[in-house]
Amino acid sequence: MQSGSEPTNHVVIALQGAFAEHQVMLKKLSLKQKLTVVLVRSEEDLSKCDALILPGGESTTIALLARLAGLLEPLREFTKKKPVWGTCAGAILLAQSVENTKKGGQEVLGGISISIARNGWGSQVESFEAALEVEGLRESDRPFHGVFIRAPVVLSLDPKPLDPPIHVVARLSIGLLPKSQTLVPEDEDDTDPRDARTIVALRQGRHLLTTFHPELTADHRIHEYFVMECVLGTPV
Amino acid sequence: MTHKDGGSSSLGTFGVKSGLAQMLKGGVIMDVVNVEQSDPHMIKAIVDAVTIPVMAKVRIGHFVEAQILQVIGIDYIDESEVLTPADEEHHINKHAFKVPFVCGARNLGEALRRISEGAAFIRTKGEAGTGNVVEAVRHQRSVMSEIRKASVMSEEELYAYAKDIQAPFHLLKETARLKRLPVVNFAAGGIATPADAALMMQLGCDGVFVGSGIFHSGDPATRAKAIVQAVTHFNNPKILAEVSENIGDAMVGLTITDNMKGGRLAARGW
Repeated sequence: MQSGSEPTNHVVIALQGAFAEHQVMLKKLSLKQKLTVVLVRSEEDLSKCDALILPGGESTTIALLARLAGLLEPLREFTKKKPVWGTCAGAILLAQSVENTKKGGQEVLGGISISIARNGWGSQVESFEAALEVEGLRESDRPFHGVFIRAPVVLSLDPKPLDPPIHVVARLSIGLLPKSQTLVPEDEDDTDPRDARTIVALRQGRHLLTTFHPELTADHRIHEYFVMECVLGTPV
Repeated sequence: MTHKDGGSSSLGTFGVKSGLAQMLKGGVIMDVVNVEQSDPHMIKAIVDAVTIPVMAKVRIGHFVEAQILQVIGIDYIDESEVLTPADEEHHINKHAFKVPFVCGARNLGEALRRISEGAAFIRTKGEAGTGNVVEAVRHQRSVMSEIRKASVMSEEELYAYAKDIQAPFHLLKETARLKRLPVVNFAAGGIATPADAALMMQLGCDGVFVGSGIFHSGDPATRAKAIVQAVTHFNNPKILAEVSENIGDAMVGLTITDNMKGGRLAARGW
């Protein structure tokens, strides 16, 4: 938790992907506290930070670059202590286990106790946009425009007894789930609306995960939510 | 698309098409050079084998090749001057596709004409297959210098400039406001060393394409890894020095002349 006068060094990891877009969104926030954005490419950059955003990009590339820059272990340590938000590829890195990997697998940081499938909807022609109800945002009755690009799918929530509880922040309607992945029955009365695969945003402790890309919209409410709720611990 | 339970979504919007390019930023696209890859069976095998996005080339103007690639699930299409053009006047109407397209450009006018046809991603043309970065530098410098010029123009001047560079006015105006292209812009055509890649990034590119520059070098795997790191750490000469060590022989650069086998590829495109 930050004391009121101290600046919060907020961070975006800048190895590969849409980090500049997150930087732009963070700069748009109007906050009482001072926020500095650091693009992290080394352990030294990371040590300046109080919170981290893992951007969208290509998750195996980000993990490879993190390993080559000697950042993988420092990032795992960081994730144990400080708030981290993963978007899309960043969500994959933040999960505990990943399905749908090919040869060589996928290195993860393991900050959130879920299992996730990469690229859950199939190829790029299945990428889509959909309106979402997101809990806890300012003006929460106004839908948030979700941009899903080769997005991952949450497969299961696996919190261990001592882990902080997992809190679902947004779901997609079950009819939008990828048919190939989910085997959603034709008769939709039989489907469980609480199916983990409908979850597109969730929180565990001070970590946040979104399978879509708030940084590609003009709506900075989720960035505000992360900074206020997860980093500063003050409700929006 | 509307679903039974009331949820609705839109597929293949310009937002998701240009958004995928945004996810590729700071990365390296590797052009695997191999003739058999034009066979749809081979392309499907590649799509099944990797989790990373797969891009495939079509000839300029060949919209049926693009329809075929879209239906087999390619993630991105490069309407490329490297292949012999199928149409000497028209490019593909890329708005008609759900799959996104990348196109080459030598200057701002050409880039904005491609974007107006629906390209969600622009790259420099450079001169493919030469291992010589000079043309990619020329093209990126032109684009950036023209953007800087446009960014200080009055609206009247922008109308005249749009006519001059044969670009749609609304896209030129948007570019002038943003002070950058309205879509992601990569370097391509002649990048052969980690320093080449970092040079293009420092000139304002968002990422790079490499092809023969790695595959025709002494040790492609090591060189590829070094170029990937150079794109991330493009502003850090110390890391660039480290990653440039012991990476085998570079591809021998060719002198770019009109007498080259196949002529200048960059001249293709209208």
